[in-house]
Amino acid sequence: MTGPAILLLLAGLGAIAWVSARARALRLQTVARATGRRDAVHSLPGYHGWYVALWTLIPAAIFLIIWVNVAPGLVTQSVLADPAAQSLPLDGFSRSAILGEARAIASGNQAGAFNPLSQGLVEPYRAALDKYGIAGAVLALVLAFAGGAFAFTRIRPDFRARTRVERLVMASLLIASLIAIITTVGIVASLLWESFRFFSMVNPIDFLFGTKWSPQSAAMGYGNDDAFGAVPLFWGTIFIGAIIAMIVAIPLGLMSAIYLTQYASPTVRKWMKPTLEMLAGVPTVVYGYFAALTIAPALRDFAVAIGIHGASSESALAAGLVMGVMIIPFVSSMADDSIAAVPQSMRDGSLAMGATTSETIRKVLIPAALPGVVGGVLLAVSRAIGETMIVVMAAGLAANLTANPFASVTTVTTQIVQLLTGDQEFDSAKTLAAFALGLVLFIVTLLLNIVALRVVKKYREAYE
Amino acid sequence: MTEEQIKLAIENPKMSARDVKVFYGEKQAIKGVSIDVGMDHVTAFIGPSGCGKSTFLRTLNRMNDTVASARVEGEITLDGENIYAPSMDVVQLRARVGMVFQKPNPFPKSIYENIAYGPRIHGLAAGKADMDVIVEKSLRRAGLWDEVKDRLHDSGTALSGGQQQRLCIGRAIAVEPEVILMDEPCSALDPIATAKIEELIHELRGRYAIVIVTHNMQQAARVSQRTAFFHLGDLVEYGVTSDIFTNPRQERTKDYITGRYG
Amino acid sequence: MTAVRNPTDWKSEAMRKRIAGRYAAERRFKFAGLFAVVLSASFLAFLLVTMMGNGLRGFTRTEIALKVDFPASPLLLDPKAITDEALANANLPMVTGTVAKTVLGEKADDLLSPTAWISIRDAIKADPMILSRTATISVPASTGLDLAAKSKGSPEMEAEVARLKQQGILSTGFNMGFLTASDGTDPTQVGIWGAFKGSLLTMLVTLILSFPVGVATALYLEEYAAKNWWTDIIEVSINNLAAVPSIIFGLLGLSIFLNLAHLPRSAALVGGMTLALMTMPVIVIAGRNAIKSVPPSIRDAALGIGASPVQVVFQHVLPLALPGILTGTIIGMARALGETAPLLMIGMRAFIATPPGGITDPATVLPVQIFLWSDEVSKGFVEKTSAAIIVLLAFLLAMNGLAIYLRNKFETRW
Repeated sequence: MTGPAILLLLAGLGAIAWVSARARALRLQTVARATGRRDAVHSLPGYHGWYVALWTLIPAAIFLIIWVNVAPGLVTQSVLADPAAQSLPLDGFSRSAILGEARAIASGNQAGAFNPLSQGLVEPYRAALDKYGIAGAVLALVLAFAGGAFAFTRIRPDFRARTRVERLVMASLLIASLIAIITTVGIVASLLWESFRFFSMVNPIDFLFGTKWSPQSAAMGYGNDDAFGAVPLFWGTIFIGAIIAMIVAIPLGLMSAIYLTQYASPTVRKWMKPTLEMLAGVPTVVYGYFAALTIAPALRDFAVAIGIHGASSESALAAGLVMGVMIIPFVSSMADDSIAAVPQSMRDGSLAMGATTSETIRKVLIPAALPGVVGGVLLAVSRAIGETMIVVMAAGLAANLTANPFASVTTVTTQIVQLLTGDQEFDSAKTLAAFALGLVLFIVTLLLNIVALRVVKKYREAYE
Repeated sequence: MTEEQIKLAIENPKMSARDVKVFYGEKQAIKGVSIDVGMDHVTAFIGPSGCGKSTFLRTLNRMNDTVASARVEGEITLDGENIYAPSMDVVQLRARVGMVFQKPNPFPKSIYENIAYGPRIHGLAAGKADMDVIVEKSLRRAGLWDEVKDRLHDSGTALSGGQQQRLCIGRAIAVEPEVILMDEPCSALDPIATAKIEELIHELRGRYAIVIVTHNMQQAARVSQRTAFFHLGDLVEYGVTSDIFTNPRQERTKDYITGRYG
Repeated sequence: MTAVRNPTDWKSEAMRKRIAGRYAAERRFKFAGLFAVVLSASFLAFLLVTMMGNGLRGFTRTEIALKVDFPASPLLLDPKAITDEALANANLPMVTGTVAKTVLGEKADDLLSPTAWISIRDAIKADPMILSRTATISVPASTGLDLAAKSKGSPEMEAEVARLKQQGILSTGFNMGFLTASDGTDPTQVGIWGAFKGSLLTMLVTLILSFPVGVATALYLEEYAAKNWWTDIIEVSINNLAAVPSIIFGLLGLSIFLNLAHLPRSAALVGGMTLALMTMPVIVIAGRNAIKSVPPSIRDAALGIGASPVQVVFQHVLPLALPGILTGTIIGMARALGETAPLLMIGMRAFIATPPGGITDPATVLPVQIFLWSDEVSKGFVEKTSAAIIVLLAFLLAMNGLAIYLRNKFETRW
């Protein structure tokens, strides 16, 4: 019996349970009402319906989830017990390859066998699959019936079906809210675990403070020592994300926010604000392509024309410039919020002293809004250093420790992508290094966010 | 202009308004007000909330310019010069006609920098020493010097409400204005701080033409020599303060000061 | 007391100059602000114009009107027995090559796309009777010729274009294949359908997972949760997840979904799960804001007539908050649709030449397809990449437009 068929059948059972339980509750309650005892009726008939339907579905569903995970093991066991399996090779890898092929043929995913041994196992496999498939379906249906019947017998006019159903609703809400925690724990645990394995191969000090990054040589068997010095990556990340991008984004974002909030007419503001926000909605892969296709070659030609050495077609400047543009709306909306949070009375006070608008902005509004703006810039930096596609496509792979913006540098995120794409065995130091880099990135962005939110929050409180 | 208002015209007025109308979009907030403000008096504007007294005050240093929908008609002169004339520079005007707001609004800077703000933007101080002189003098006049002289570089926002308001008055004084407009300067303060501000207004009288908006009639009676009663955008009655309070000529004024409405 | 200062002489020459200088500074500052806005906006315009300029060509293809003299051709087909099998056995690619050589000259192989025979096959299928006469059939040109005709190609191809134009057999047609085909090796043959379908499946998984969980979390936190350390942890987790770089989610997907749970690599299922974890915090935050804006008086009214807390929320609060939640969901989905980095981590960068049939089949998505094509050396991919970007941007624009429309239509002021 196939999976979808069982699910469909169960859904049908659930619907029948709902309808019949509701009908029964309605009948019982009509009788109870007729006797004049109004307090004898507790829940609406619909809740009785849900109560029984849930009792029908949930135990069966739980069973199926367990079964899906257990059944393949049982199937394999019974196939191995078959006489045809005696001729299987003992070595685990080819053994599981043959079993896998046999299973694929048996379940119809593959037309013919490459290995004659698997052909012999197809029949036992098919038999075992059928056997356990039917067993699972029958058990699930039995459970559904049992659950439904049990619940059905509990229907009384005064049975508190609604309370039970609502308790389940509340429980599912609670479980949903746990997923956020589970995800966080999952991120931290997986990063920590893989990093731990990495650091058992490579000294953390060498990783954090080494200046030579060449994981390829480590993969080729030259040893892990001083192949994983991540300083050039950290520098490249800071150079692009925290320096070049911010040199673009802070003035443009701040001045745009100032112009749109303090000078522009409402119509201009109404149209320009969403237009600038579109910059943040453009997918990063588009920016990356744009940087690599248009900006980077132009910058290289420019650098060559003015005689700069080491100009590369993948440059820190190209990636940083485009990333800065992407960050503009981010800085601008944070600046907008911070300036708007400065009380109007400050502005009036300054204007009433005879200050011009720009003097008011430069000498009163910006100093007053500074904590909020700084917080916004920190958030922007945390976004910039976690950004991947622009640097992957435009910054390059050379781990240079250089301050020449026309040269190619590499970043943490670029290297994560580089290390994990391609077919590497999962246990090598090279692939695990990606997780160590991810851990560093995670910690840094987290700290930046915490600090930034603190600063912004403190500042908001100052004006409330 | 009514006959009565002409009678009240002052010789050599510092500021005078003639048939001033203010509109916010379609809505008319001030309906033709004419009034003279003299150098020797403290002039109080009283009236129920929403009567237009604050709006009118803000036309005197063109603070209404900052509201996009506001439109002013009529003529207001400062020393005979129309302040709404194109040749009038609003930056200069506001330096000459200072303003103190309802809620104390010191800048989030040090006490010293708060006072120095105006002289600095207008370039009134010749150097650091000169600025020190201006700051001390302004704080003394604002009656705050003795309280803050040891902590001039503390933040202005750390002061108490009353001190903050005196700091704002000091800030306005620092640019040597000719007129000081005060928009309910005590409404956010406790009685003791209020008394100090009133005392200060007393001392400043004569040196500056002072216009104060207040909803507190006792305060108007205490600090002012001239009182103008506004109602629904009209200037109902303008006269010597003691006359207005003891012998109002208009029925509406009488109703207001005896507490029928407001 | 210090000496009395002289009143400021506002009319003095020095003061006049100073004020003029201040106004000049004011104008400069205002101009700098305007400049920043215009510069930012023109960067956006520059980006869009560049993509349009390169990409619109990707939707067209150069075609050659090939005059095929069927009776004279080496084609052995019976017009009365045209079946798929007969066509498949007729060796049309070879026949097309021969015919092209007689019509276009020796270089015909370089001029026609390797898929040119498909157009001839379709023409025969549509009307078998053309086999008995000479017919003119439009067939796609090769990448080199295509480039030369549209913008700039190699000198030889430019010459060929000039020659064919003179013969009047060169034309430009809509490239239907770009919308219906999948990835390939030759730029004239590639299309976005495979990646598009992959995106649809991935988004479907993302939506199914993140929407219920996001809404349930928002409801729990906003309506039921007590303010204690436990809900604080949930809140902190959600806010952090919203700020974690997307590539970290890719690492999570790789190590948990692929290496631990052994889910299929490169599949829309895993991609959707990974993106769902990213999208969920966005939905939670938007959902909480929407729920918060439902006034307490409505809850009080419902509770007052004896509704249970669950009934209050599901019958009153949720329907009122739904437009806001949907707006947030669409915005989150739009972000997920444009996301690339985490999907690279879980192997969705494979070369997928057939559209995925289900959520467990190997698939790729639009942004990843753009990334893959951007790496191709062949010049013909530039316009295809840009064309795919146009499609992606059009979808994002439509989604954001829908979100704005929903917000404006259902925005209620209490």
